[in-house]
Amino acid sequence: MKEISIHFTVNGKKVSLNVPSRKRLLDVLREDLGLTGTKEGCDVGECGACTVVMNGRAVHSCLVLAAQADGAEILTVEGLAQNGELYPLQKNFLEYGAVQCGFCIPGMLMSSYALIQENPHPGEEEIKEAIAGNLCRCTGYKQIIQAVEATVKR
Amino acid sequence: MKASPKEFRVDAAEKLSGATSYIRDEQIPGLWYGTTVRSPHPRARIREIHLDPHFDWNTVTIVTAQDIPNNYVAMLENDMPFLAEKVVNYVGEPVALIAAPTRAEAEEAKKHLRVDYEPLPAILDMLEAEKSSIKLFGENNLFKEIVIEKGNLETAREKAAAVVELEARTGYQEHLYLEPQGMIAIPEKDRVILKGSLQCPYYVKNALTTMFAGLKHITVIQAPTGGAFGGKEDFPSLLAGHAALLAVKSGHPIAMFYDREEDVQVTTKRHPSYHHDVAYVDQEGCLLGLDLHLWLDGGAYCTLSQVVLARAALTATGSYYVPNVRIHAKAVATNTVPSGAFRGFGGPQAVFAMEMLMEKIAQRLGLPPHEVRRKNLIKEGQDTATEQVLKYSVSARETFEDVLQESDYEQKYRQYQEWNKPILEKLRKGEYPKSNRHDRLRGIGLAAFLHGAGFTGTGENKIQGKIRVELTAEGKPLIFSAQTEMGQGEQTAFRKILSDALYIDRDDVLLAEVNTDKVPDSGPTVASRTTMVVGSLLVDAAEEIIQQLSYRLKEEQGVQFDYRRGYFYGGEQILSFREVAQKYAGLTVEKQYHHPPIIKFDDIRWKGDAYPVFSWAAAVAEVEVDPVTFEIRVVRYFTTHEIGKAINYNQAVAQIEGGSLQGIGYALYEKIKLQNGKFDISGFTDYIIPATTETPEFQVKILENPYPFGPFGAKGLGELPFVGAAPAVLSALWMIFGKEFNHLPVLPEDLLQLFSKQKNTEG
Ligand code: FES
Ligand code: FES
Repeated sequence: MKEISIHFTVNGKKVSLNVPSRKRLLDVLREDLGLTGTKEGCDVGECGACTVVMNGRAVHSCLVLAAQADGAEILTVEGLAQNGELYPLQKNFLEYGAVQCGFCIPGMLMSSYALIQENPHPGEEEIKEAIAGNLCRCTGYKQIIQAVEATVKR
Repeated sequence: MKASPKEFRVDAAEKLSGATSYIRDEQIPGLWYGTTVRSPHPRARIREIHLDPHFDWNTVTIVTAQDIPNNYVAMLENDMPFLAEKVVNYVGEPVALIAAPTRAEAEEAKKHLRVDYEPLPAILDMLEAEKSSIKLFGENNLFKEIVIEKGNLETAREKAAAVVELEARTGYQEHLYLEPQGMIAIPEKDRVILKGSLQCPYYVKNALTTMFAGLKHITVIQAPTGGAFGGKEDFPSLLAGHAALLAVKSGHPIAMFYDREEDVQVTTKRHPSYHHDVAYVDQEGCLLGLDLHLWLDGGAYCTLSQVVLARAALTATGSYYVPNVRIHAKAVATNTVPSGAFRGFGGPQAVFAMEMLMEKIAQRLGLPPHEVRRKNLIKEGQDTATEQVLKYSVSARETFEDVLQESDYEQKYRQYQEWNKPILEKLRKGEYPKSNRHDRLRGIGLAAFLHGAGFTGTGENKIQGKIRVELTAEGKPLIFSAQTEMGQGEQTAFRKILSDALYIDRDDVLLAEVNTDKVPDSGPTVASRTTMVVGSLLVDAAEEIIQQLSYRLKEEQGVQFDYRRGYFYGGEQILSFREVAQKYAGLTVEKQYHHPPIIKFDDIRWKGDAYPVFSWAAAVAEVEVDPVTFEIRVVRYFTTHEIGKAINYNQAVAQIEGGSLQGIGYALYEKIKLQNGKFDISGFTDYIIPATTETPEFQVKILENPYPFGPFGAKGLGELPFVGAAPAVLSALWMIFGKEFNHLPVLPEDLLQLFSKQKNTEG
């Protein structure tokens, strides 16, 4: 497979890599950069577990090719907490009991983060819509939605 | 609701920061990847495994049946091979394994391996299994047959004002845990280490020790597990066997990581069921007798079907008292993917059939469905089908009345019936049913349900789960148990139970890694037994720790010490638990479970205390149906649960909502069909589970009614919420359409058919 060289910013750090051009962004993050917080649940853009924020928008990193990430600014779950302090969104997930097995959680956080960036005061329906592509098999979504609501009320 | 910091889950912060290392996140140098060669036939003879002579096989490792010392997965029956040798019995059955340094190389090698098969006739219908000339298991393809009898059905028949008969069916269900199955095997000289996403470390250890005929020491470590729901109870033993075989033969650590498609195609599913039930009732709707027949499709190999069947049979009369009963249950073998454990474990199928029978009785007698249920709900002092007298913690009635009130069931039932009339009228006439874009048919349905907590029958006494607690140098108790965290909150519950029992801070209780070299076998994490059964051992351990510490203080200081709320008081001294524990660091307490002696079960005659206690619940589902598209949505879901005592209230509520939503999926979305023995699903695209947009507004209430032998009165919770959701949703469809709904799932096309049929018969 053809190798290409790409440059982008991840969690505020600049990175340059040589990777096969058809490698998925998900694998670049997990394998080349060791950012394993981003999860894979399906590989076809249906579960949302692999969601990261790219140039301000939530994307399925299993559907993004490395080449498409060239020049982009990317935020993953590892980039949310600052100096070991959970980001407010994370704190609310903790406090509202939104986490069970945790496998969907990084994706949930990133979709919610992108929503709040774009719309600082979303209503319940907008929150539900924003995370409708993030599937969770453990919860009934209620605590997740409440945690996002609590974050935007602050 | 925001929880108090003391209630936060102990595993949440790490999961939120992305630091939790699930099995696919492990960085293991020299890791190879395994792949599985599978049968495309539901049944066939294996003629030959053919390796392409032009391919360089030196770079990969291949394992076939010949490489396996004991080629069966040790479980209830040892009928399932790790790799098929002469015959394959289902589509997807493993035939050979290949490992290579990368996944791509392993997949490439797979293309050069060809298996020649001679296809054979197969059993694909569970109702044909028993009489089939094809023999898959024993003489009649029955993994198990159970007959439970109480009273005399003849008397019921004679007195009955009505005889109500129901046929019902439920379909497959896939667990669809967000993290697919994954296992890593690391070979050492005389030992193999297995690390993976799993529920029952000792099941894996026993299966692999047997597979290697005792020649290898097996160490099993649980990795953080991204959901399981029973799907990681029995299946990981097979997967671990595959990883271990490749690891030992290749000398490399091996990863067996299923992608989603492989996972949904070949892993276990919830048992499909068929029911044929007869109820004898008086004109008031009181049950005089029940004659229940049920079949479970176990698939090609037994796995846990025998115990799933037992739970189904023992749950068949639901939350009701019946004086005369006969239950006849069979688990059969077919040429399909083996069915396995799934939250509820046979209970959901049984309760579904019973609840639909209740609907039919109500319909036949012209009585409101809640009245018929109310008349028959079991109460303290009455007995079950196995003549188990319910002595304590019985709340069938309390949960039922509570949820009716919370949901305003009766009022809404009447209101919605009125509301629906004009819409139904138009539908019947074949007119456009909506006068307004937002017009929907409105339904309200209910279900009463229960779950027997802990293992069925004598199971707990056979396992005799053990735990150990040690005091560390820092004076913190460290818990050693084989119970696993898979999202349900075990770690939080265990630390809370022990810290509450000792009156110390939750953060001062530690949990040892689940590693079979270190933790004793406290039994599997299944059957809603972790909190109730193993949790009770923690309370016992706490008592003994206090006793021993007090005794040692007295020995040393010559005065009597009493322990109260975190402090030892003796003579002039007040010593904190921490100080004393530090002083006697290393103190170890072991506890082993035995059923309270008053609980007795005869598993030959199926008489007695099938479960130490039951957890109780009732639910009301409000459903809307679009009269044009027949899209069905649950808009509100009320449920009241009685689980003895909630150890962590907020998490119990969250667990109830999650379980209910899975049950709603089972009722309305999750459908799998077989096409010549092959499942017609590939993942989230064609197997729909509820997303936020399909999720109702939940209103959950928890009642307390302590179980004397549970920790602080707690009973099992994990499975219960699932059990009643599907029948509650379908009850709402009975209410709207006044028709019989007797199968799961119900999809819009089923409703559409109702009307096309109706038009045909009426027109
Ligand atoms: S892994 Fe990307 S959406 Fe599922
Ligand atoms: S918490 Fe398990 S999938 Fe969402």
